[in-house]
Amino acid sequence: MSDDDRIDAELTAFFAVPDAAPDEAFVGRIERAVRAEQRMAAARRALWRRFGVETLGSLAVIGVFYLLWRVAPANIEISQLTLGPVAAASLVLLLWLGVGLKPAAMGG
Amino acid sequence: MDQDRELARRAAAGDAAAFTALVRSHEGAVRRFLSRLTRGEGADDLAQEVFLKAWRTAGSYRGEGAYRGWLMQIAWTAFLTSHRAKGRRQARDQASFEEDGGAAHDPDARIDLERALASLGDRERAAALLCFGEGCSHSEAAEIMRLPLGTLKSILARARAALTARLEMAHE
Repeated sequence: MSDDDRIDAELTAFFAVPDAAPDEAFVGRIERAVRAEQRMAAARRALWRRFGVETLGSLAVIGVFYLLWRVAPANIEISQLTLGPVAAASLVLLLWLGVGLKPAAMGG
Repeated sequence: MDQDRELARRAAAGDAAAFTALVRSHEGAVRRFLSRLTRGEGADDLAQEVFLKAWRTAGSYRGEGAYRGWLMQIAWTAFLTSHRAKGRRQARDQASFEEDGGAAHDPDARIDLERALASLGDRERAAALLCFGEGCSHSEAAEIMRLPLGTLKSILARARAALTARLEMAHE
């Protein structure tokens, strides 16, 4: 055995500590932190999904208004409409809120 | 080791129970390593950070080396990051420790060596802890510390020389 090996063996004997039984309090602390991370990740995914759906919904509403504006007769006057633009927009908004709030009310 | 790989694979797929089993197996070694590196200051918080990072990046463990080695690599990186943030304060602690004369005349060799270990530079301390304390081979320690093997060996030689001097002093 060389001098270095002897010294290494001696240092190993000083520093090596056999694995003790797991510290369940620490393990529990990590477990709780991991579960919290999982819940946060799920909430983040749900938020992004909802954001995507709402963005698509907004684009669809804007698209419908654009199409209606394109196909409307050029010489029509606002007073001739049975449903004015403000009333139509309010109706769409109410429908949207109704659909949007439903999942929240159900805990979604 | 195969069991660790299987648990790591399940953890990467989002199985929290498998990850808890890994924590149970390796928390002792990781906390011991960090506690000796940081001299106990905030070691458990750092260990928690290490395990959370291991959970978040579970998919990046490819099963090529030991899972414990992979954790130690995260622990070493976390220590360096936190150490940089606390750099000035620790430098002051180190200076005050050296002014006290360390533990040159402590009759207890183990305590003396622990203090000698504490007075080493970070890299020397980590290399000594990995090779002497955790039973890592030189190449494993080099991989954990992301150093070339030759560099690790010279760092370890410096650590060995400093610790041997303390050991001989304790024997006298």
